[in-house]
Amino acid sequence: MSDRPAGNLYQPDLVVVEAVTDETPDTRTYRLRFRDPDRAAAFSFRAGQFGEYSVFGAGESTFCIASPPTRTGYFECTVKAAGKVTGGLRQADVGDLLGFRGPYGNAFPVEEWEGRDLVLIAGGIGLAPVRCVIWTVLDRRERYGNVTIVYGARSVADLVYKRELDEWAARDDVRLVVTVDPGGETSDWGGEVGYVTPVVERTAPRAEAAVAVLCGPPVVVKLTLPVLAGLGFADEAVYTTLENRMKCGVGKCGRCNIGSVYVCKDGPVFTAAQLKALPQDY
Amino acid sequence: MSEPRRVLLLTHDDLAGLIEELAAAGAPAVAPAWAGGAGRAAGALAAPRETEYRTVTGAAELACGERLPRLSLKSLFLPATEVLFSWRRTAGDVELTPAPTDLPARVVLGARPCDAAALPIVDRVMDWDHADELWSARRAATTVFSLACGVEDDSCFCSAVFLDPASDRGADGRLTPVEGGYLVETFSDKGDAFVAAHGGAFGDLPAGAAGGEPLAQAAAFRAAAGERVAANLRLDHERVRDWLEHHFDDPFWATLGPRCNGCGVCSSVCPTCHCFDIVDEPDSVGHGVRRRNWDTCQACVFTLHASGHNPRADQNARYRQRVEHKFLTYPTRFGDVLCTGCGRCSRACPTGQDLTEILADIDGRARGELP
Repeated sequence: MSDRPAGNLYQPDLVVVEAVTDETPDTRTYRLRFRDPDRAAAFSFRAGQFGEYSVFGAGESTFCIASPPTRTGYFECTVKAAGKVTGGLRQADVGDLLGFRGPYGNAFPVEEWEGRDLVLIAGGIGLAPVRCVIWTVLDRRERYGNVTIVYGARSVADLVYKRELDEWAARDDVRLVVTVDPGGETSDWGGEVGYVTPVVERTAPRAEAAVAVLCGPPVVVKLTLPVLAGLGFADEAVYTTLENRMKCGVGKCGRCNIGSVYVCKDGPVFTAAQLKALPQDY
Repeated sequence: MSEPRRVLLLTHDDLAGLIEELAAAGAPAVAPAWAGGAGRAAGALAAPRETEYRTVTGAAELACGERLPRLSLKSLFLPATEVLFSWRRTAGDVELTPAPTDLPARVVLGARPCDAAALPIVDRVMDWDHADELWSARRAATTVFSLACGVEDDSCFCSAVFLDPASDRGADGRLTPVEGGYLVETFSDKGDAFVAAHGGAFGDLPAGAAGGEPLAQAAAFRAAAGERVAANLRLDHERVRDWLEHHFDDPFWATLGPRCNGCGVCSSVCPTCHCFDIVDEPDSVGHGVRRRNWDTCQACVFTLHASGHNPRADQNARYRQRVEHKFLTYPTRFGDVLCTGCGRCSRACPTGQDLTEILADIDGRARGELP
């Protein structure tokens, strides 16, 4: 990569935290900008790509880019505090310097989807990559057919991007279905109650001339794929992302392979047809 | 096997002189040497002495043609732990300093052919789209002379993985034992440059019929070794690959996991295992380093997600990954196999997991001779 500063493949660019948004008690969105204006100007990515984000002293972790490529000058990641690096990110405040390597991996073929209906499904933090797709599509709304979003979280408190959910709900060119797991609802909850999989089935989006995107915990993906097939979605028209653990992001550290497929190089975006050809190692 | 560019002789005395000359010039050669340094008296311990690749300053330290070094040559190119860059926080800033890549030239004398062959095999991963500068810099700075191998023991199977005990793959030059010293052949510019720079050590073959003598001795040595190792294992790789591709859920894997402690020593001693972890190591408040450390697919945390989900939840799956990565994944992506048949994994395994047996078993299943 010729636009990288002197250093090596594993040395990140410095990025400045421009904004921190609390999504849930344990999840935050970080808006980042390259400190080097030339690097910022040269940076571009496609919906679905990921990066290696680092907190100096805590380490490096892999997250998708959660903001759309249609909005430039910054990019965002949404992170749930779960381990050492994400715990370190938790301490990051506006103005702090973090490390970023990327973008890596393949992308959703959003250009190929133009003219088709889109069914965008997310479970939990899986809304981060789907949000990237949602805004990419909504920023060029006229190029796509009907847009249906189905999003489920464990509880009302666990819903991320709450302000954006309100924004999408208010639009008449988007059908938004939000659900929480049974027991996760509050007394004033106006959305659905139930797991993502049955809610997708009940929502029954039209499969004809449609593309589905499905991201979430492995169990949600595994259970929802057959439901989409039952609704008539061809395996080639269903896209998901795999979230295998990674370190290098560039096909060297040997951690993310599934059979002969490297998630960091061949993914993270796969169709259901591609998943079916893979051994159950994800 | 490529045709050598130059064919020379190196007597034992000249080798000793060469080693001293290199050490005196401040660029000592790396060679198989007795572990523990030259200071330890022979026979001081009852246990057979280990050998290791390390810099040597005198011929007394050399262990060429002795026991196989416990660790492969890998550490020279991918150290067990290394700094990728250091970071330092100052007021409102973070300063990053990358690990140096302007390395002094060095030579390896007497690498096992199975260790030299591993280098171009791992190159393919390290050069895949994004070049790994640290690996590349060490590769570029190093000239590797291998030493034709007399075959260690029954765990060797280089001839079953497209190599042989005198393979020149990955070697800039090769030594083969002959009477009074070594026949030296070069295969690359780097190899030629080294013998040219140290011309005093290398002699030409005697003129006339006498020159054929060392060539015949070297050929006989290599032929005998080739014959010895060929008896250890034969594999039909296409058949093995096909079996692996279609037997991901085979009950066979469940026979391997219970015998594995998950210690990962097989990866540590392996010349081609290259998986690594990246971690931060603060030195103090405000500064520290980011390191790359060897890692192993045999560890339960290797693929563990932050959510607790683990795609390879048991040792059966982890051992399958080791076999599949070497004999299915790598071959599919890059060609040949991610293994040079050195046999170190079998020798080092504390529970007796033997890759030669496992491969023979898979090959037998692939032929339909085993259930």
